[in-house]
Amino acid sequence: MRGGDGQTAGMPARRRESRPASVPLLVERVMDATLRCVARWGVAKTTLDDIAREASCSRATIYRAFPGGKDSVLFATGEREIRRFLDDLAGQLQPLDTVEDLVATTLVVAARAIRTHEALGYLLEHEPGVVLRHAAFDGLDPLLTLAREFGTPELERFLSPEAAQATAEWTARVVLAHVLECQRFDLTNLDDAHRLVSTYLLPGLTADRRAGSSAA
Amino acid sequence: MTIEVDTRTRILVAAVACVGRAGLDKTSLEDVAQEAGLSRATVYRYFEGGRDQLVAAAVAWEVANYLARLGAATAPEPDLEAKLVRGLLFGHRAIDEHALLQRLLSTERDALLPNLRSVMPMMQRLVRSAIRAELESVAVRPEVDRDDAADYLTGLFLSYLGSPGQWDLDDEEAVRRLVRTQFLAGIVPRATDVTGENPWQ
Repeated sequence: MRGGDGQTAGMPARRRESRPASVPLLVERVMDATLRCVARWGVAKTTLDDIAREASCSRATIYRAFPGGKDSVLFATGEREIRRFLDDLAGQLQPLDTVEDLVATTLVVAARAIRTHEALGYLLEHEPGVVLRHAAFDGLDPLLTLAREFGTPELERFLSPEAAQATAEWTARVVLAHVLECQRFDLTNLDDAHRLVSTYLLPGLTADRRAGSSAA
Repeated sequence: MTIEVDTRTRILVAAVACVGRAGLDKTSLEDVAQEAGLSRATVYRYFEGGRDQLVAAAVAWEVANYLARLGAATAPEPDLEAKLVRGLLFGHRAIDEHALLQRLLSTERDALLPNLRSVMPMMQRLVRSAIRAELESVAVRPEVDRDDAADYLTGLFLSYLGSPGQWDLDDEEAVRRLVRTQFLAGIVPRATDVTGENPWQ
């Protein structure tokens, strides 16, 4: 923010708004407002005007920060939410030191984050098409890539690169199956997550090593 | 020789044909009625929800047909492992080669996906019941509950089928390895389990 422009008190509102707001702060505000709008009305029915009103700024201001309009606001917001989730996850994984702990904890953190995310909850309930755009067929590829990029370094302490990648991807798939209601395991419960991992994932990693098979 | 087909099926066949020609959005109930050689009134009697319900039903019907083909392809396989392997190989190939699906994914994905979402519970039920039935005759590891295992295998199977990711589902060796590890290693006892070996601890 430009400090030298003097006090805002007494200046007409229009003039005040034309001062460029701090871009990082504004961007955050717009994305927070977007999440609140989507949680209420979903993606299709949320307009840039809705977001502007919710963010207490003008459409023009939003366009300056997001020249691509509504689509780029949505994309940036989604990216930020994922980045925040991964940062939080990394912190929770930091003290752990077995494959089982890493994977089970990831399942639980992911399942809980999804369950409590209001905007995502709205979409899952009312706009499944939007969710499936990123979860079905090759639409899932970016998330799988992200899972591998994040998870492989975490798991390579314990597993070969190939097994680490496959495990990271497995974890993402299990979370997704949980979200799309394929599973009876309650992934928000750490004991259930541990049971799932130790019963279904770990023996396969062992079997892989015994077979002496190398990267596909 | 004419094959008698019930009216509902006739309508669905016609709907799929119309979608094949004009796409999802441009297919109207009138088009389908005309294609089926029926009156609008007749079609409405079977699909009171109108065009949208008809389109949803047509998608569900195509998916059911696909699952029937998948079932037929896996039926001759001798055991669960072989069925899962054949299921992934055949199922993946059938998706790749389904011209209408590929076209819709490319041109009308946003119109198609909500219809597929509606169909997912049916897909899960059908695949799960086939897998559960197969598990009945499988000796499973002591810690495994067959119902849980059926859910687990169903979710993983549909996940890989729809989105292979980096896995080459045309490569039989790769698919076999995938099935032996991620799918079945936790479910089916292997000879080496007897040694009590546990390299992970």
